[in-house]
Amino acid sequence: MIIERSSTWKEGFIERLENRESWDNWTLYKMSYDVVKTNLITDFTGLQSPKYLPNLTPLPHQLEVAQTVIERMNGKAILADEVGLGKTIEAGLIMKEYLIRGLVKKALILAPASLINQWVEELNHKFYIPAIAYRKNYGLDHYNVVVMSMDMAKRSPHKEHIYEQDYDLIIVDEAHKLKNHKTKNYEFVQDLKKKFCLLLTATPIQNNLFELFHLISLLKPGHLGDYETFQAAFSASKHNWENDEFLKVLVNQVMVRNRRQDTGIEWTSRRVQTIPIQFTQQEKEVYDMILELKNISPEFSSPFTMITLQKEMCSSKEATYLTLNEMRQKCTDPKVVRYIEEIIQKLVALEINAKAEKAYEIITEANDKVILFTEYRASQAYLQWYLHSKGITSVIFNGKFKASKRDWMKQLFKDHAQVLIATESGGEGINLQFCHHVINYDLPWNPMKLEQRIGRVHRLGQEHDVHIYNLAIEQTIEEDILELLHVKIDVFEKAVGELDSILSTFKQSI
Amino acid sequence: MYPQQIHEYLIRFFKENNCQIVKEHDHYITVQLTIDMDKKIMNRPYYWQYIENTDGVPSPAQITLITDQNKLTEDIKGEVLHFGSPRLNQIFQATNDLGSFVHMYERVAENSNGQPILTPWLGVNYKVSYFSDQTKEMLYSLGINLMTGEMKHSFQEEIRELDLDANMPKNAFDLMYIIKPLRGLERLDAAVESLIQQDDHTWADEAKSRWQKDRQVLEHFYEAMDNKPECYEMEKKAMDEQYQTKIKLDIVNGGLFYIT
Repeated sequence: MIIERSSTWKEGFIERLENRESWDNWTLYKMSYDVVKTNLITDFTGLQSPKYLPNLTPLPHQLEVAQTVIERMNGKAILADEVGLGKTIEAGLIMKEYLIRGLVKKALILAPASLINQWVEELNHKFYIPAIAYRKNYGLDHYNVVVMSMDMAKRSPHKEHIYEQDYDLIIVDEAHKLKNHKTKNYEFVQDLKKKFCLLLTATPIQNNLFELFHLISLLKPGHLGDYETFQAAFSASKHNWENDEFLKVLVNQVMVRNRRQDTGIEWTSRRVQTIPIQFTQQEKEVYDMILELKNISPEFSSPFTMITLQKEMCSSKEATYLTLNEMRQKCTDPKVVRYIEEIIQKLVALEINAKAEKAYEIITEANDKVILFTEYRASQAYLQWYLHSKGITSVIFNGKFKASKRDWMKQLFKDHAQVLIATESGGEGINLQFCHHVINYDLPWNPMKLEQRIGRVHRLGQEHDVHIYNLAIEQTIEEDILELLHVKIDVFEKAVGELDSILSTFKQSI
Repeated sequence: MYPQQIHEYLIRFFKENNCQIVKEHDHYITVQLTIDMDKKIMNRPYYWQYIENTDGVPSPAQITLITDQNKLTEDIKGEVLHFGSPRLNQIFQATNDLGSFVHMYERVAENSNGQPILTPWLGVNYKVSYFSDQTKEMLYSLGINLMTGEMKHSFQEEIRELDLDANMPKNAFDLMYIIKPLRGLERLDAAVESLIQQDDHTWADEAKSRWQKDRQVLEHFYEAMDNKPECYEMEKKAMDEQYQTKIKLDIVNGGLFYIT
């Protein structure tokens, strides 16, 4: 094997032998030897990093993950702990270990824009890793650890600049955004050289098994075979298969996942309730008229528009109105226009929102801080107005808010308001352990989004039981959504492992 | 290193480098740096460039280093140092720069047989690192008698407690070496290489088999494709880098020792 050596010391020694330089101090000589001895990495295995991190007390499961990833997975892994167990800490431990061992010199962290500052902060303060946030006019040559948003990284000229660098470690946060292999995100990461690579996501499967296939193929192409074989084995139906034990074994070779109950920490429990709601007679009429639309004109046969409208009607008349009004303006057939106008008229006349009333009831009963998630900005605004009219203070939270505004809103919620009304994209990356009631006012199609929402509250540091209320209106599309959510959770559990409760047993309760 | 050890280390380090300790508290120190030390550990090359180019009056920094924040009761402004902090690493690096080469004589009492005789030795401390996707390091301290060619292991441990001085004692007689120091160095280099060769290298075989396993998986994935995409080559390259085995040999420090 090649032995790399340098002649620097020999040259210095010659200079001193020839009296061109002076000799050094004996005490410093001894100190230098002792320092090297103290810092020596005497074993291939085991973690060095904890002793360099006096201000961080990693939890046992976090240390175990770091060690497993380095020693058994050779530094290429999906970190898939449930939300709130500290995936960032695990990634930091692994990165620190590689930096100390000299195996990583340059690292790139790709994260959603809203989480960049949090990464930079944690790496610098908890791990003493001098990470910087990338700015457009920075050259990448001079910075060893860079945090960048995926959106920026995948675009020119940043993309090219990144490819020019020789990164030893790539970390992708919120890696479920790579589930679709036809996206620019995916392509970008696929073409990156990944010597060591960590993909962080609490939700490696959101909808179907192929997402997991693509994620793993990004990390270790071929680990699950090629696409054709995989498809043949597992896609008789997207949701059912026989080889699931075998698949689980393969998946667990590249993925670590801790569940709350595996951590040895006492977790407060989750109390999940599905709250069935009945439309008022008037609301039901409007909903049925919307259902009729597809029979009125072929223009409305697109299932996508119809589903959107139905979902919106289950949320608020404000959300529905925006879409309906747009449809009316595009519509040419006077007969159809008249029909839509009729709906709008009835819609505007609605005085009661049964779901909002239910939400109000829950908030009053909770008599405590509550986070409410809705899918629509219009509903968000309506709910703030509605709650205000009932004397309940609330703040609004969106993903589009800048970091400073997010912090401000969070503080407002903590100190002054009872309710935080958030849209989906506002859900990522904020931690609200001081709150323990979550209302899912609208249900997303994807159970992992629910998990992400609940994870804002049910995470390390939560001291109370967490109450989750999933609102669903009977005999509407929301029942179908619930049904599908159950099926998807089943897929996840078969391939990845059990999930903490997200849904209550709604099927039985209806 | 515990806070107390770091504290003692710093005091020794600065004293040895002629930096005045302005204030010495149990859990922090305030130290006036010399110009040389400022340049070494304060990361401000532009300041020094500016002072030198403009013939300005240099003002080396005075710094307060807190070694045990937890035990500190007063409100002291300063930089908190701990094992692993970048500043401490810099100080370690400076120690190494300033303690690389020595030339020492043993201080000996005159004995009844007349003038004590000091024998020249070359001592070298080697750090050996094994690399694959994992690492391991070893420290070898070797010494060679420059009269007889006799070699010793753990040489540093043996001489560290001796009473050594940079100046030749007047009462002693030192032998001129027969083996030239550079020849001695070559012999020590050869000895350390043979130690490496005799070592157990299953780690390299294991890394190779991990590499082969990953490689097979990759080949299988792209087997059916006639025109393999660019990312295939990229993956292969990453894998080569990840598992490539390598041994690195560094000299920590070394010197000439005249000892009895």
